[in-house]
Amino acid sequence: MKIQVNARNRAHYFDSEAGQSILYGGLKQAVELPYECGSGTCGTCKAKLISGDIEDDWPEAPGKKYLKTPDEFLMCQCTAKSDVVIEIPAFVQTMEAGACTPAFLAGQIKSVKTLTHDIAFLEVELREPLEFDAGQFVLIKVPGVPGFRGWSMVNYQRHSNTLEFVVKKKPGGGISEWLFGADRVGTEVEVFGPLGRATFYPSLARNILCIAGGSGIAGMMSILARAAQDGYFTQYNGDVFFGVRSMKDAFFLKEFTSLREQCGKKLNVTIALSEEEAPASAVTDYPQLAFAKGFVHEVAGHHMQNRFQNVRAYLAGPPPAVDASIRMLLQAKMTTDNIRYDKFN
Amino acid sequence: MNKVHVCKSSDIPSNGMKTYDVAGGLKVLIANAGENYYAYQSTCPHQDVCLGEGFYDGSLLTCHQHLWQWDITTGEARGLAEAPLESYEVKLIDGEIFVLRASALKVSDLFAGVSDETLEELNKIARREEHKSGSIMYSIGDSTDDLYVLETGRVEFQIGRDDRTSAAGFVLVKGEAFGWAALLDHQPQRIAKAVCLEDSAMLRLNGKQTLQVLASDPASGYLVMRKLSNLITRHMTGPVGK
Repeated sequence: MKIQVNARNRAHYFDSEAGQSILYGGLKQAVELPYECGSGTCGTCKAKLISGDIEDDWPEAPGKKYLKTPDEFLMCQCTAKSDVVIEIPAFVQTMEAGACTPAFLAGQIKSVKTLTHDIAFLEVELREPLEFDAGQFVLIKVPGVPGFRGWSMVNYQRHSNTLEFVVKKKPGGGISEWLFGADRVGTEVEVFGPLGRATFYPSLARNILCIAGGSGIAGMMSILARAAQDGYFTQYNGDVFFGVRSMKDAFFLKEFTSLREQCGKKLNVTIALSEEEAPASAVTDYPQLAFAKGFVHEVAGHHMQNRFQNVRAYLAGPPPAVDASIRMLLQAKMTTDNIRYDKFN
Repeated sequence: MNKVHVCKSSDIPSNGMKTYDVAGGLKVLIANAGENYYAYQSTCPHQDVCLGEGFYDGSLLTCHQHLWQWDITTGEARGLAEAPLESYEVKLIDGEIFVLRASALKVSDLFAGVSDETLEELNKIARREEHKSGSIMYSIGDSTDDLYVLETGRVEFQIGRDDRTSAAGFVLVKGEAFGWAALLDHQPQRIAKAVCLEDSAMLRLNGKQTLQVLASDPASGYLVMRKLSNLITRHMTGPVGK
């Protein structure tokens, strides 16, 4: 199918394969269509159908609440049934040379391991390596569960065959119930990516501040891995605030300890516990880490007081936690170009 | 547009904001900053997100969705924002807030920062025109005499000839300028066709006269030329072609 996108600055043309969403079709041909979650929740990829036929693969997608008129649709959930012309009321460019253009890749679940009572660590082995930036995510589709789900990479290597993820078990969350429901090692999965703009490059040359709640820590681990590989924390500060409810929800504490040993005193990791004081055992078991009681944005705001200059902040986690962190950073007079996140609802 | 009643000034928290859907389809955000009240469009020009859900600290308004920001006193874009907010004139009468729709010239990003006197001179040379959906404003090869500033409706551009045409963008926001080749040297002919896709209203300014008015106020003229060069480069960004 031929897709024509009328944007405010120009038209773009690309071919979309049968059964492939219009968003993925455009992105893989380096057309920078607007998106954020790529999985039907945020509403950012809405467009207007001018002519042609489309099919909505997920009519109940939560992101549809952002649609205002019957001719609007979510590009991430709709496929073209004929040649179509669509309109996007925004400036749409083509991706810069050197950007990691997303593609469809085949993979296999290599391992699943439990991190906490409701968090799993997952490895996917790709048939061919994927080039991605630290802080990016991919969309994954598994057999028998409709639609794609966005997961941030935990690891960072320039060309990697293995992608690592953190997945939270959610009651009623299709793919997470599927994953926790049985032994899935060896299952073939479909991967689309990399995606996302909350990326880190060592050329940033600023202190970095990571504020993450729960499984949102995944992308931060990739950023820290890249920074550590580059010796970034010999020159710049890294402050990581990881929010969980209680110690039984905390994970990656050994990984944080070894990062701290590798990177030295400029990297500081604080575990924010919203529902309890840190038990004495945590403090003795992880002397390299700090523990504090409170919501992660409050703990971060308190510890970062008067240290918001020359900082790039990365945020991830449940939307209310991300919003609260944004508010805190704006109150601290951080400029918006140094606040990065990709919203998943 | 006549003045429209929105709310009581006491309804707006000190250094706070509220959004209103007023009868007649007007969606407006009222903000307080110390002694003053300001009125703007209540949805983000980026993706129509309600700005009432955003953050406001008494001087800077931030959309919570993608962190676009505006100066509350002028509606001008700050930080990541790529477009200004449409502003309304506020009248405060006996504790009641009324708003008036401002002219397209006044809200135009191209003329933002121009002195009131010069804006009035521009207003004098501007002719208001209404065109039905489907009207062709100009075609490829036509002379580039006039500059247009959109008031309402929507105008689309096409490049190429006959059956080899290609969509080349569109304007739909009040105050958006098009046909700006009228302000350039050595660009005597239109390179695109402009068609109204809806019933549209616009202000039409002769290019030479506009340049004369700006030449008589170089400080304002400088700002317009900066805006114009930004407008042109924005259309040049990224590889062009199919």
